[in-house]
Amino acid sequence: MSVIQVKIERDHYETSFFEVAYSTDMTVLNIIEEIYRHHDPAIAYRFSCRTGLCATCMMMINGKPGLSCMAMGKPGEDGYLTLAPLPKGHTIRDLVKEV
Amino acid sequence: MDIINTDVLIIGSGAAGLSASVYAARSGQKVLVIDKGAVGKSGSTVGAVQIASLGEWSLNGDSEETYFKDIEESGRGLSDPVLAKILAGEITERINELIAWGLKLDVDEKKEVAVFSTAGHSISRSVSARKGKTGLGILQTFLKKARSLKDNLNTWSDVITLELLTSSERVTGALVFDLTETKLSIIHAKTVILATGGMGQLYPVTSNPVQATGDGFSLGLGAGAALKDMEQVQFYPVSLKAPQSVAGFCISFYHYSKLYNKDGHRFMADYEPETLENTTRDKLSLAMASEVGQGRGTENGAVFMDVTHTTDRVKSDFPHEYEMCVDRGVDLRSNRAEVGPAAHFIMGGIQIDGNGASSVPGLYVTGETAGGLHGGNRLGNNALSECLVFGARAGQAAASESAERENRLFPSADVSEWLQKLTGDSPVRGKKGVSPYDIKRKIQSVMDEGAGVVRSDKGLHQARKKLEEIDVLLKEAKAPSLKPYSREVIDFIESRHMVRTAKAIVEAAMHRTESRGAHYNKDHPGLETKPYHTVVTYQDERFICLRQPLKGDR
Ligand SMILES: Cc1cc2nc3c(=O)[nH]c(=O)nc-3n(C[C@H](O)[C@H](O)[C@H](O)COP(=O)(O)OP(=O)(O)OC[C@H]3O[C@@H](n4cnc5c(N)ncnc54)[C@H](O)[C@@H]3O)c2cc1C
Ligand code: FES
Repeated sequence: MSVIQVKIERDHYETSFFEVAYSTDMTVLNIIEEIYRHHDPAIAYRFSCRTGLCATCMMMINGKPGLSCMAMGKPGEDGYLTLAPLPKGHTIRDLVKEV
Repeated sequence: MDIINTDVLIIGSGAAGLSASVYAARSGQKVLVIDKGAVGKSGSTVGAVQIASLGEWSLNGDSEETYFKDIEESGRGLSDPVLAKILAGEITERINELIAWGLKLDVDEKKEVAVFSTAGHSISRSVSARKGKTGLGILQTFLKKARSLKDNLNTWSDVITLELLTSSERVTGALVFDLTETKLSIIHAKTVILATGGMGQLYPVTSNPVQATGDGFSLGLGAGAALKDMEQVQFYPVSLKAPQSVAGFCISFYHYSKLYNKDGHRFMADYEPETLENTTRDKLSLAMASEVGQGRGTENGAVFMDVTHTTDRVKSDFPHEYEMCVDRGVDLRSNRAEVGPAAHFIMGGIQIDGNGASSVPGLYVTGETAGGLHGGNRLGNNALSECLVFGARAGQAAASESAERENRLFPSADVSEWLQKLTGDSPVRGKKGVSPYDIKRKIQSVMDEGAGVVRSDKGLHQARKKLEEIDVLLKEAKAPSLKPYSREVIDFIESRHMVRTAKAIVEAAMHRTESRGAHYNKDHPGLETKPYHTVVTYQDERFICLRQPLKGDR
């Protein structure tokens, strides 16, 4: 197993960096779950079906909106997998938008 | 602590909860729908593909009577005929109403409503909307209708129910935790409808969404409700087991496939020589689990599914599933997939009458959380029909009961335990313990080992013992982070519901000393002569399980 560098743009312009155990079959959601389990138990993220249907897991992935349960976890051009909440609407915390 | 007042409180916003909400609000009562996730997007309903129906599109020969008979037959003696009759009698009206509110059924090349066949139904009667995203279509139709009733109907996302509140044996509301504001609130209601869906997350591999942690069964037990036939857990036979990111993803094309054990033997020839892989869900699940149980599975506890002889057909008939497999590195053209049964649905649930009323005054239950309609085996596509018909009934009945009651009762709520756990002065805070996430994983492995597809007396006893141990762990558990929407606080609360529901399933399974429907115990492989229900209740922190003769028997 290798590692992936993850950058999460959180509230108040705070950015967190994580070095996460990684294999190429992991989705972005799997990587966030890994962060939750081993790095930050308070991380906030939303998901439900894990199969691309409910759209509640949508977030900015390397600068583009995408479903975290469907997108495979890959670093962007700067070498980081960069995650952020969707730009529109109120952010409750971290990656979670108000619905 | 905030106090909120409403006439009808509905917990859960899948097809069942939203159906109930619309019918209750139409009667003029104030209705509040809450959900621990995003309203209308967080339940099993989202994934549902088709709905069984009767209507103008029905084929010649279909009728209420044949539909009723199919349900009865499939239920292995445990299906409640009163509920089955209501379902067959009212589904047409409910679907027509949805169509009037904007739902468009999918049509075939001739522009006629497309009607599909489903295993177990003696005649084709399944229909779909939104090109197979039927559940989503139904949810959106209800949400639209709900907006038109917004003077009476409010929804509230991201608020999780901890306990039902009671006063002199009547359910009077709920204690909830607002995940956004991170605070406890009390909701007072004249009637409460539980529509919290299923419990697939009690098992490590499930088709269910992450919210399906069985909260409703645990909430019902806490309020004194009786749970019927909880041992009847349906496993979807062919779901992906690897990679982990899609574990539990249901494969609909298994009847095209060949299943092999790790020795390369097409084992269905030993179990169902006539039909092979094209057989019913329970038989297939049992065969697959038996192979793995006898050491003929892969390292991941799976068997192999091969469709290399028919990939084109799979690709054209099930494009979404085909793409999903390929996307995740399972190239069906050249490779076999590792598959196994996934926890999918629970036929058992809170005992209800034809109006969704439980045995506890003021408490109604509908959708997957209610028990009795499907008995020992649910026919495909009957879950959505159940949600429509019994959601509407529960909504109407709860609203008329609310209308007759002048005042809300004020519960003598003992919320101290939750307060202690979820506020700063809790003694458990800071103490090191197992994380809520790990507790959930432990529950799943206990249920997998002891109360999965193939059960045994010894396995069930061990599961009971291990769940007791997990209870102790829970008491010492690490206090969760209380920041807004922290994943940990959700796991913390859900793990408590999961243990209570898991225990109910194990108790019920121990009391069914036969193999009936989805319950298979290898120490009791046959059927007992007189069918009975298992009924579990919870009193003074103890489970009581009884056998109840079928109605009409004595
Ligand atoms: C992948 C998949 C495919 C399926 N396909 C079909 C099909 O094709 N046809 C068919 O008929 N059936 C199908 N089923 C079964 C069917 O979808 C479900 O049984 C049915 O939709 C359940 O509806 P419900 O309203 O009872 O619960 P759900 O839709 O599960 O909704 C329950 C809601 O309650 C909320 N909730 C739970 N606990 C709490 C709490 N403590 N506090 C607040 N809110 C809470 C949840 O967040 C959720 O939103 C399928 C199931 C799955 C998983
Ligand atoms: S979790 Fe439902 S779309 Fe990603």
